[in-house]
Amino acid sequence: MDYARRNQQIANSFYNLGLEKSRIRDLSGAAQCLKKSLHFNKYQTDARNLLGLIYYENGEVADALVQWVISLNLQPEDNLADHYLDEIQRKPGQLERESQNVKTFNQALWHAQNGSDDLAILQLARVVESNPHFVKAHLLLALLYMGREDYNKAGRSLYKILQIDKSNQKALYYMSIVKQNTGRADAEKRKMVKAFSHRKMEDDDVIIPNTYKESTGLSTILHIIIGLILGIAAFYFLILPARTKALNNERNQEVIAYSQKLNNANQQYDILKTDYDRLDAQAKEVQARLDELTTGNTSIMAQYQGLIWILQNYRTGDLVAAAKAFADASFDLIEDENIKAIVESIRQDMTANIYQNLVDRGLTLWNAGNKTEAMDYFQASLTIKPDNPEALFYVGRLYQDAGDMDNANTMFDKVVNEFPDSPYVERARNARGY
Amino acid sequence: MIDFEEEIERFKPSLDVEQVEDAIVKSDLTDMTDIMMELIKERGEK
Repeated sequence: MDYARRNQQIANSFYNLGLEKSRIRDLSGAAQCLKKSLHFNKYQTDARNLLGLIYYENGEVADALVQWVISLNLQPEDNLADHYLDEIQRKPGQLERESQNVKTFNQALWHAQNGSDDLAILQLARVVESNPHFVKAHLLLALLYMGREDYNKAGRSLYKILQIDKSNQKALYYMSIVKQNTGRADAEKRKMVKAFSHRKMEDDDVIIPNTYKESTGLSTILHIIIGLILGIAAFYFLILPARTKALNNERNQEVIAYSQKLNNANQQYDILKTDYDRLDAQAKEVQARLDELTTGNTSIMAQYQGLIWILQNYRTGDLVAAAKAFADASFDLIEDENIKAIVESIRQDMTANIYQNLVDRGLTLWNAGNKTEAMDYFQASLTIKPDNPEALFYVGRLYQDAGDMDNANTMFDKVVNEFPDSPYVERARNARGY
Repeated sequence: MIDFEEEIERFKPSLDVEQVEDAIVKSDLTDMTDIMMELIKERGEK
C-alpha cells in the first residue's frame, strides 16, 4: 500500500508540474508531465482531464475525447470531463467541423508525403483558417512553406503555433531555421549582445549621447539654416495644408449658405412668376372682356350707342336715320331683359310700320322732285324689310331715271322673279321693257 | 538544414473522431501501481 500511496504522490507532483506549465502555455511540457502523472496513477482524473484539454487546444479533438471518455469511465461522479463532453455534444456542428478538419489534414499529409505539395498547402490553409488552433496543421504548413523557401509565410504559421504552445519543440526548431534564412537570427543576436553588454553605472558616470558634438560657429549657422528649412517645410507640408483646408471648408460653407439663399430666391421667384402669369392671364381676360364691352362696332357699348341713336332718331322723326341705324345695328350682346324688350318693340315697329312709312315718305319726296332723298328713304325701307317689292320697284325706277340701267334692271328682275304675285310685277316688266 | 522529405515522413495522421471508440478500447491504462501489484503478486506466488 505504501507503493500505491507513493505512486499517487508522484502522480500528483507531475500533475502539479503539468498544471504550472499549462498555465504559462508550455503545453508540450505540460502534456509530458501529465502523461507521466497518468503512468504513475491512472486514476489521476485531473491530470487526464487537463491532458484532454491540452489536446483540444492543439486541435486534436479526437485525442481529447479519448482522454475525457476514459476519465469519465474511471470516475463517473463529480468529474469535469462530463462538463467537457457535454459542451462538445451541445454543439454537434462544431464537432463535425473539427472532424472534417482532421480528415482534411490527413489528406493534406498524404498529398505532402506523395509529392503534391501545392494541393497539400491549399488544404492546410483551409484547415488552419477553419481551426486556427490546429497546431499539427500549422506545423506541416510551415514545413511546406520552408520547402518552397517561403520563410515569411512559414514564420507566420510558426508564430501562431508558439502563441498556442510556446515550447513546441518542432515549432521552435523550424523557427530557428526560418530566422536564419530571414536574417532575424542575426538581428536578435545583436539585440541580445546589446542587452547584456551593459555594466552597472557608478555615481559619477556621465552619459554622453553618441550624437553629441561641440558646437562651432559654422555648425551653429548650419543648424539654424537646417532649422529654418525644416520650419518652412513644416509650414508648407503641415500648417499650410491644414490652413488651406480650413479656408476651403469656410469657403464651402459660405458657398453652401449662398446657394441656399439663391435657392430660396429662385423658389420665391418661381412663386412670384407663377402669380404674375396667373394675374397677367386674368388681366388679359379682363381686358378682352372690357374691349368687348367698350371698343369696336361689335361691343356692348356700341350696341347701346346704336340703340340710343335709333331712339334719338325716333324722337326727332328722322325715320331714315333710324331705319339705317336699326339695320346696321346688332343687339345680341345686350342681356338686360328691359332693354331687349325695347329693342324688340322697335324691331316690330320697324318691320310692321316704319318700312311702309319710309316708302310713303319717299314717294312724297319723289313727287316733290327730291329724287336723291327719296332714294335714301327707299333704301332705308329695304334695309328694314328687304322683301318689299314696292320699295324694290321704286328703287329700280329711280336707278332707271338716273340712267343706271344695270342696277335698275337688277331691281326689276328681282321684283319679277321673286315676287310673281306682286301687283308691281307688271309695272316692273314694263319698266324693264319685256 | 533540415531534410525536408525526412521531416515530412515524421508527421503522423491525426486521430479521427470516428476512431475514438477504437482508440479507447485499445488504450493501455496500466499504471505503475498495476505493475507493482503484478510484481508483488508474482513474488508471492514464487
